[in-house]
Amino acid sequence: MNIDKLFNRKTDKFECYEIDVFSASDAELVEISNKMGLALALPEMKNIQSYFKNKNRLPTDIELQALGQAWSEHCCYKSSKIPLKKYVFGIAEDKIVAREDAGIIDFDKDHYYCAALESHNHPSAVEPYGGAATGVGGIVRDVLCMGAQPIAYIDPLFFGPLDLPQSELPKGVKHPRFLFKGVVDGIRDYGNRIGIPTLSGQVYFHKGYTSNCLVNVGCIGILKKEELIHSWAKAPGNVYVYVGGKTGRDGIHGVTFASAELKDDSEKSSRSAVQVGDPITKEPVIHATLECNRKGLLEGLKDFGGGGLSCVSGELAYAAGFGAEIVLDDVPLKEEGLLPWEIWISESQERMMFLVAPKNVNEVLHICKQWDVTAAVVGQVIAEKITRVIYKGVKILEMDMDFFTGGPVYDTCQRPFVISTQKENIDPKFDMQNLNDILKKLLGSFNIASKEWVIRQYDHEVRGNTVIKPLQGKINFECNGDATVLKPLEESFRGLAVTANINPRFMERDPYWGACSAIDETCRNLVSVGAIPDSLLDCLNFGNPEKPEKMGEFYEACRGLGDAARELNLPYMSGNVSLYNESVKTSVPPTPQIMGIGIVPDIRKCVTSDFKKQSNYIYLVGKETDKEMGGSEYYNVIKVDGGVVPKTDINILKNYMKAILMAIDKKQIVSCHDISEGGLGVCISEMCIGGDIGAQINLSNVSKNLRSDFKLFSESNTRWVVEVEKEKQKNFEKTLKENKTPFVKIGEIKSDKIVIEDNGKKIIDQKISNLRDIWKNTIWNIMG
Amino acid sequence: MKSVKKSDVKIAVLRIEGTNCEQESLDAFKRLGANPEFVHLKQLLHLDCTKNEKRDIFNYQCIMIPGGFSAGDYIRAGAIFAARIKSKLGKDLEEFVKQEYPVLGVCNGFQVLTELGLLPGIKEIMTSVPDACLYINDSNRYECRPTFLKHENNIKCIFTRKIPKDDILLIPSAHAEGKLLFTLDKQEEYLKKLEENDQIVFRYINKNGEYTGYPWNPNGSISNLAGICNYIGNVFGMMPHPERSFYRHQHPNWVQNGLDNNIGDGIAIFESALDYICKRF
Repeated sequence: MNIDKLFNRKTDKFECYEIDVFSASDAELVEISNKMGLALALPEMKNIQSYFKNKNRLPTDIELQALGQAWSEHCCYKSSKIPLKKYVFGIAEDKIVAREDAGIIDFDKDHYYCAALESHNHPSAVEPYGGAATGVGGIVRDVLCMGAQPIAYIDPLFFGPLDLPQSELPKGVKHPRFLFKGVVDGIRDYGNRIGIPTLSGQVYFHKGYTSNCLVNVGCIGILKKEELIHSWAKAPGNVYVYVGGKTGRDGIHGVTFASAELKDDSEKSSRSAVQVGDPITKEPVIHATLECNRKGLLEGLKDFGGGGLSCVSGELAYAAGFGAEIVLDDVPLKEEGLLPWEIWISESQERMMFLVAPKNVNEVLHICKQWDVTAAVVGQVIAEKITRVIYKGVKILEMDMDFFTGGPVYDTCQRPFVISTQKENIDPKFDMQNLNDILKKLLGSFNIASKEWVIRQYDHEVRGNTVIKPLQGKINFECNGDATVLKPLEESFRGLAVTANINPRFMERDPYWGACSAIDETCRNLVSVGAIPDSLLDCLNFGNPEKPEKMGEFYEACRGLGDAARELNLPYMSGNVSLYNESVKTSVPPTPQIMGIGIVPDIRKCVTSDFKKQSNYIYLVGKETDKEMGGSEYYNVIKVDGGVVPKTDINILKNYMKAILMAIDKKQIVSCHDISEGGLGVCISEMCIGGDIGAQINLSNVSKNLRSDFKLFSESNTRWVVEVEKEKQKNFEKTLKENKTPFVKIGEIKSDKIVIEDNGKKIIDQKISNLRDIWKNTIWNIMG
Repeated sequence: MKSVKKSDVKIAVLRIEGTNCEQESLDAFKRLGANPEFVHLKQLLHLDCTKNEKRDIFNYQCIMIPGGFSAGDYIRAGAIFAARIKSKLGKDLEEFVKQEYPVLGVCNGFQVLTELGLLPGIKEIMTSVPDACLYINDSNRYECRPTFLKHENNIKCIFTRKIPKDDILLIPSAHAEGKLLFTLDKQEEYLKKLEENDQIVFRYINKNGEYTGYPWNPNGSISNLAGICNYIGNVFGMMPHPERSFYRHQHPNWVQNGLDNNIGDGIAIFESALDYICKRF
């Protein structure tokens, strides 16, 4: 279809077109959307058509581009609003001080902490290094624009299997090893350079991520209460000061790209949608922004995110009920020849928008100059509720705020969904194999094996606040910890703990219980180090919402996240929805990545996951171990399909958490590790590996009717393994009893071997050094 | 003998874009009661400054170049920062060192001091071209890991005088380019000179106190060198980060070994420098 006739040049001064949407047929409207890369559907195009009919003039290309950005799935959550509202929003809202680009919650009397979590999936699938790096940059800006000093960075990653045969690699898809390396390189080179420690994350491998890897990025910040700044204008006359990186053609249509499925040729067609990151532009931008804010020179602050200048200038004014007038001539450019609409929607990186009172503009420009940060006055806030853009003296965009930035309301147009019947829950019968072999296989499976290869490449110590490290135990023998703890303030021992979790195998079998399990595990992890769970963040990565069964998964996951969090009174302080994570070949398992933040009243009482001392007692604490094998690593390793996904009872979780926290506070526990992937067997192995010390275990008193392999490898929720000094035994048991928390004493720390018996039979007998080699070397060996 | 009060000791924590360990470095001096301040290199070069912002190198009794990725560490770690200092401030800095004021470089700061020609500083204060380099780690990647260091300096290095010889310190390393190398034909000669001049300060060792390879020596540095000083003893560079082990609670093994009085292994380096300044100036 040739629609060139509908495009008429508006002025001979520069390239800008009016588009004849009045005479366009429905098919032509759709073609306009496609040709311009707007990703708007017909009803939206018709909405635009009638708006301009009322105005009695034709829209310009920059106006349509701006609407494409403002109304895209990415910007205003059109598919997800209903289930989110129904289940996830409105929990413990009183704890939330502000929720803009990042959420804000009380840390102590004088400080807030700030956190954000989002996805950077599609860019990373096309260009892993640049995509992941700019993901870091983006999330750091989200925290920065609340006036907070970024203090920690979290990066959950999901890829296809590292050993995927080339023959199984779909056309146009990059190998998981290449993507994994590229993403880690990108995060490392960006995160390390801007001096913010990467503290936590998750790396998960599953076939479903082969053609659509997931890169989620989270950031935590800290600020004094009086330093909180909002993303809205204070008054007309506030000056827009553009700060940071220059504008180029990189990152055009990033938002609309994220709102469609990936295709074979995304590499070629969407390469320009991936931005180019520059950490050494960013690092001084952080300094300059915080300095201006601390000196009280800013009225409002927002980062350039999806939709670029178009979204940032509109939203700053719209949130305050004002309008914006922007002069594009003054925007700093990387290169000559950008068309006005490209300047308006480019998503070039490292850019912040300051709103400044006229009297402070010179001082702000001076501070930026000192840091060699580009800064320019590009417009002002106006009283009329419109956005107006001027270029070379010509008005090329003028739209009402309510129409443009407010966006269409979709509450009434609900996407159809079906909740698919549960997968086969019946457990197939099979004979128990040699459990020594199974344990070794589990420790060497990609999802359980040590992620040291990744963790050591990130600076997790910079800023000097990391008091409980991501790797815990004897120096150079460490195992993975459950959560990392920061001590963010010089003058206080109060700490922040952070963890990130989701079990995609649970999710694909049962999105409801999978989601509940993620919350259970998040709480377990925080409690393990001695932190009281305080808030959650969710990054909801799902498939194409236009497919009813994918929408159904989304509904069920939201229901689970809502039910569990409501019962715990934990708010979702911030989050993000990423849909269309699929390509022609595969769709990702539903992946609601959960980041949990906990408060540690006194970091000097924290415990770690490594076993500490010979002859201390080992306890299994928490819920009864059940035969809940659906989605377990055990079944995955022995290739058995079936079983139920672990359920959870939040009321029980609450009690048990209280018991563990109380025992840690009373110094009755010297190490603690939650039981998750690989069950009790893997949990104890990891604790031995980190402590470089053995354990003698007897499981006879654990869930008596259960077969040994299920005792060892069940992933039932709400369980921990803890180490208790002999002389603390009585008091420890008393604390647990007082909180109605079940426990079984399963053994003691002994020798340099892990020996496990069940009903008089030795089922595991392994040297710790052997297990460590398997666990530690798997990923090093494959990644080099 | 005259002496300076600790609270009067002014320390310049020097930074440019990409410097990123400045806060904890400043905090280390501040916690000990000294008077450190952040100084952007442009303040010393008097570029884009108001009158109040201008600084002079001789306003200070100590200069610290902290860790980070100055100017992105593109080209070679520390090279750009060093070039910017040397072109305008080279002479002043040489005079500063000659007057025996202390200069500390940690991680990227060590790389900068080496690129400046201030280290290894075997015969002269500042060589016109670098006399050593901090090369890419043997593992060919950035690594963040705890490292054990043995203090091997007798008396020369003013930054470690409060640390008994042969003491073992636990101080974390985090870098991609930390392998100290000299030109091949000078290697033996330089090592011998460093030894003779008492310029060797720290060597990487394993948990049993032995010289071993990776991962205990995280970068493959020649002769396990982790930190060296110049022939005068007042310019000192080390790859591991003492400002990240100021307190015991920053150590990776405090949970296992207890906090005691919460004094970390890195603190003595800052204390030694202040002690020297107070007595010397």
